[in-house]
Amino acid sequence: MSAFLAFALAVTAVNAVRPPAARATPAPRRGGILRLMLREDLPQGFAIHETATNSTVWPSLPCFNNLVTFQPLKPVERPDTIVGDLAERWAWTSDYRALTFTLRRHVRWHDGQPLTAKDVKYTFDMVREAPEASARLRINPRKDWYAAVEAIDVPDPYTVTFRLRRPQPSLLMMLASGYSPVYPAHIAPAEFRTRCVGTGPFRLKEWRKGEYVEYVRNPEYFVPGRPYLDGLRYVVIAERGTRFAALQAGQLDAAMPAEGTRTIVEQLKAAAPRMVVSEINVGVNDNLLLNTKRPPFNDVQVRRALSLAVDRRAYVRAVHQGGAVVGAALSPPPTGAWGLSAADLEGLPGYGRPADDKARARKLLADAGYGPGRPLRVEVATRAISLYVDFASFVINELRQVGIDGTLRQVETAQWHPLVTRREFEIAANLTGLGVDDPDANLYENYACGSPRNYGDYCDDQVMQLVEQQSREIDPKKRLAIVWQIQRKLEADAARPMMGWRLDYFAQWPYVRNLVPHHSAYNWSRMQDVWLDR
Amino acid sequence: MRRYVASRLGVAVLTLFGMSVVIFVLLRLAPGNIVDILFATGGYVNEAEKRLIMTELGLDRPIWAQYLRWIADVVSGDLGKSYRYDLPAWQLVKPLIPVTVELALISTAIAALLGIPTGVISAVRQDSALDHALRIFSLAGLSMPSFWLGMVIILALVAWIGWIPPVTYVSPAANLPLHLVQFLLPGLAVGYRSSALIMRLTRSALLEVLREDYIRTARAKGQSGPAVIWRHALANAILPVVTVVGIEFAFLIGGLVVTETVFNLPGVARFLVQAILWRDYPVVQNLVMFIAIVVILTNLGVDLLYAWLDPRIRYAK
Repeated sequence: MSAFLAFALAVTAVNAVRPPAARATPAPRRGGILRLMLREDLPQGFAIHETATNSTVWPSLPCFNNLVTFQPLKPVERPDTIVGDLAERWAWTSDYRALTFTLRRHVRWHDGQPLTAKDVKYTFDMVREAPEASARLRINPRKDWYAAVEAIDVPDPYTVTFRLRRPQPSLLMMLASGYSPVYPAHIAPAEFRTRCVGTGPFRLKEWRKGEYVEYVRNPEYFVPGRPYLDGLRYVVIAERGTRFAALQAGQLDAAMPAEGTRTIVEQLKAAAPRMVVSEINVGVNDNLLLNTKRPPFNDVQVRRALSLAVDRRAYVRAVHQGGAVVGAALSPPPTGAWGLSAADLEGLPGYGRPADDKARARKLLADAGYGPGRPLRVEVATRAISLYVDFASFVINELRQVGIDGTLRQVETAQWHPLVTRREFEIAANLTGLGVDDPDANLYENYACGSPRNYGDYCDDQVMQLVEQQSREIDPKKRLAIVWQIQRKLEADAARPMMGWRLDYFAQWPYVRNLVPHHSAYNWSRMQDVWLDR
Repeated sequence: MRRYVASRLGVAVLTLFGMSVVIFVLLRLAPGNIVDILFATGGYVNEAEKRLIMTELGLDRPIWAQYLRWIADVVSGDLGKSYRYDLPAWQLVKPLIPVTVELALISTAIAALLGIPTGVISAVRQDSALDHALRIFSLAGLSMPSFWLGMVIILALVAWIGWIPPVTYVSPAANLPLHLVQFLLPGLAVGYRSSALIMRLTRSALLEVLREDYIRTARAKGQSGPAVIWRHALANAILPVVTVVGIEFAFLIGGLVVTETVFNLPGVARFLVQAILWRDYPVVQNLVMFIAIVVILTNLGVDLLYAWLDPRIRYAK
């Protein structure tokens, strides 16, 4: 193939990448097995409540249902795209202190038992570790999501009320996340590590460890006529090259979120022009953890200098080949509902003219006593995975340009979380994935004083007050204004400098219908409405 | 002969005991454990919750106590439970063994079928154009890592004919031709590299033998060229080649990691790496012991084969 032809195909490929949207489709048809990609075996089986990885959520969600979910055919996830799932309807009290769900009747678990409100209470009492909870999770990453829940009441088998200590409009968003399925009260949570009993559109047929997960259609699914597919097959393929070769060769029908880089899909489109590729913001950001409890980053001026030193736009170009967008603590618009836009970011450290920002960084460092005679020496820790190492190496190079002498420390995956949890770092190049595009789910977890995942231990009274204020705010416009204010403050304080939000290029064959990628990684894999047009 | 085999088996038991201590200690010296990994998938660490899981898995006990427990379990036929999958380790390991053994056998067969004849031809036609061509062919095989060759095969197939071997395991009972295709391609990628080694060894061993007096005598007695080469020369040159073939086979049982990964075959080596990354001690320990047993038995088998191949060799009576 001539170089010109290759170039032309690549250009065509990039142009063919389009934002996700529901394609005009003919009437859905029943039948067929959808074959999907899985980058690793399920780390915790189907125990979604015990994990924070999409390697569990992506292949487990077809087994379960939530109380509410995000409209599957709309790519953006916002409060107004939430639809009922197990809940037929729901209502807030006027003071937003109680949220009542009315459940669908005649819903059965895959083992034939009926679903009742007790299952809902059981699940969320367990997750929030309520004193009256009848079971406990081995690992519980999302307890904090439900910190405002005071009690869960079950007035009758089909009604459940979440009573809150204070108003929290975010609760509904968190309940719609793929991380919030309802578990059956009659099955111990540990069993989900090896099997799955849900109410979802598909029943688990077989999990061959390290090979594949197979589901069959649930004939008693509560949504009439769904699912359309006879089954699902998730194939574990550890090697990325083989994964995409299998997709190209037609052994798979669709990819997996957060797997397709810009370079990969350009090659894929050149080889298979009919492949449909959607550009999505999966809600994963690259950020720098700065240990604010230790010198030198306990000094806000030094943190600010570091943030000024790293050119975010150059980062997106160099590390992601353009496959990312700049943004602050929350996912930027138009795909995110709460983030600051590129225009809003102008003037914040690291988003201005690179030469000016670097000059300001040198001045701040000089004011703090660092300079050519006494260079600031730092260690940049990161996971020993190329994705992370590229990120850290870029940052080290940028820091060098303002006189900060950085060295790279690669840490094995098994040691990464213990290291950041014990705060044994100065700077850490980190990735953070958000379960749902919501301020509460992000700000409490990553910026609240004392939060275990606020790895840099940044703690600011003003920010905390604002976080609390936005969490209670019922008016969306007022809330958005507070959330923007918080993000500007976080950027100005270089609390956790954001490098960019990764874009994913989700690939699927055109005959796969109604699989609309959302701007998130975790919340759209139930496959209830997907069908095969072939 | 029986005494020899018995003494070798005795040594094998001692070797396995040594292996069990080494693998047990090394695994625990590696930083992190399954509990760290579990919390990594949860994205946080809670020391109190961590201690509970450590106790649940028995990881809070002293290493020597854990070791004795493991050995006692193994002796009683219990190979332990996978930390990651919460299933008996043997249940996980058992289906992997035939896959790896088959791939190793096919790779070794391809290596021998390719390496021995080319080595013979190369020796017989020493310094000819054919010899040079075959030596370049073998040098290329030695220079190319099998995983790289595997990846090239996959990418070339998908680019040229839009097809790759199945990415899920096809059992011979379900579809024998497809099963063979699934194993032949990785077998070729691995076997080509091994064949290069066998070819070079066959060539040098045969060249040495071809200069012996008895070869000249056989020719002087009017025996045909092929008969001299295959019956007299090769029969005497084959012993080091058999040793290498045996070692290659044993090495492949644990050394197919990347090939199994590239061709997505559910074998021992790929699973072992995953188990190591997860610090799934029971699975790692069992798989390493399995590999050690294969290596020991293969070496024993090769040694016994010597006696059959060369009647001059006799073991203790």
